[in-house]
Amino acid sequence: MGRLWRVLFPKGYSFLRPEAVALFVALWELGAWCSPAWPSLLRQVLPILWGDFQDPQFMQALAGSARRMLIGYSLVMLVGVGGGIILGRLPLVDQLLGSFAVAVHAIPGAAWVPLSVMWFGMTEQAVIFTIILGAAGIVIVETDTGIREVPPLIQRAARTMGARGVNYFWLVVVPAAIPKIVGGLRLAWAFGWRALMAGELLTSVNGLGQRLNQVAKAQRLDQLLALMLLIAAVGILVDGLLFKRLEHEVRVRWGLV
Amino acid sequence: MQVQLEHVSKSFRHNGRPLEVLHDVSLTVEDGEFVCLLGPSGCGKSTIINLIAGLDRADTGQITVGGTPVTGPDPSRVVVFQEAALFPWLSVLGNVEFGLRVAGVPAVKRRARALEYLKLVHLSKFVHAYPHQLSGGMKQRVAIARALVLQPAILLLDEPFAALDAQTRAVLQNELLEIWQLARPTILFVTHNVREATGLADRVYVISSRPGCIRDARAIEVPRPRHAEDPLLQAHQHKILGILGEEVEKVFREELGETVHYPEAQHDAPSDHAKGMHI
Repeated sequence: MGRLWRVLFPKGYSFLRPEAVALFVALWELGAWCSPAWPSLLRQVLPILWGDFQDPQFMQALAGSARRMLIGYSLVMLVGVGGGIILGRLPLVDQLLGSFAVAVHAIPGAAWVPLSVMWFGMTEQAVIFTIILGAAGIVIVETDTGIREVPPLIQRAARTMGARGVNYFWLVVVPAAIPKIVGGLRLAWAFGWRALMAGELLTSVNGLGQRLNQVAKAQRLDQLLALMLLIAAVGILVDGLLFKRLEHEVRVRWGLV
Repeated sequence: MQVQLEHVSKSFRHNGRPLEVLHDVSLTVEDGEFVCLLGPSGCGKSTIINLIAGLDRADTGQITVGGTPVTGPDPSRVVVFQEAALFPWLSVLGNVEFGLRVAGVPAVKRRARALEYLKLVHLSKFVHAYPHQLSGGMKQRVAIARALVLQPAILLLDEPFAALDAQTRAVLQNELLEIWQLARPTILFVTHNVREATGLADRVYVISSRPGCIRDARAIEVPRPRHAEDPLLQAHQHKILGILGEEVEKVFREELGETVHYPEAQHDAPSDHAKGMHI
């Protein structure tokens, strides 16, 4: 228990504070006490969520969302880091295509859904495609920047020790870009998660997003809030426990803090 | 290996106008010699290091190392910078192994050699530490080990101890001398500290500022270990300070007159005049 506490409320970097969680619960319950239409978090919403986890259909939807996010995010990493490295390495390609990456990044994930559906139909592929277009742009941009902005002193030190060509690129440029890449990947997680929900909401693929639609149509505010709470919790936990921690450790080691 | 600069000039573009940082500099560093370049901030001494390292090109004149013209960077001419410039993503060991790794030395061999040089700079206990965990002096030790492990014929040091406190600086100066006497690389050491230059070098070149040119070259024929109170050493220091006094005045006049800003003119000299006769 003490260990779980330390994981959820770490000291080294700012993530969750127990006071913040307590305040959130208190405000929610205050709202529920004031308005009969607002369901109680502790007595209604959390038990519903608990019940959902016992429901095989719900778990199937959750697993579906997780699978799409996993596939989509893996492809985002591949396309984003790979594309960013290519752009960073080839100035001409960067000048021609660099602004495309920024443009793609400027379009919200949800806005890609109609196009994805036109191309892939109401399928899982359409959702994954939405995730990639919603999240890969920022990884490309950040990786590209990191590759091109190796600190001059590091460049000179490496060159005087004889590093050049492929060696120089993989042993110096890419590691020097890691903080930027990790920062991009962290943002991409948030963008991808949103794109996943938008994709699932607008296609009829079995997942959390689609369930949002169903419970809203059934006028079940308590179930809707339970789902939204889960979506928020997954977002904040993955960001806090994985990406923020990774980013923090990288920044410490790279001497940026 | 002998280093020779013949009539070297170098300008940078600054605000669209050319700015001469070196004017007709000729100097020679003999094989195995310890030479200091001494001059005020912004006098182009770092530029001389960069030219010899092959990181920069001279506009006119020739730079030869062992009789061969310098065309680019080479691990036989390694630079130790004022900020250690360690790779933060590599451990101390990884940093020292870097040059060997680039040169394609097999893992086991390069590890053994890196450990040997880390022992030389008294860092055996910190082999697995990362740069962010080290003090300034330790970082500079790693930088020196990282350079020495390549067994360079020429070691170029660009104000390597300027950012350190006086005690650490003294310790590292002695260690550098010990290492030099052991392996006898040719050393070119840039500093703006008169006591440091006269305490370390076989010969001192005094560089004037803006554009940099050789104002004075003198052999410091004082046997090592040297003591600060040595009258001959003090005589040298006085003469150099006299020459530099004019130079520093020139710098001040120019700065107060707000004529031009020089890219190299960093006001990074710690204000401990009493400790080391900074200029």
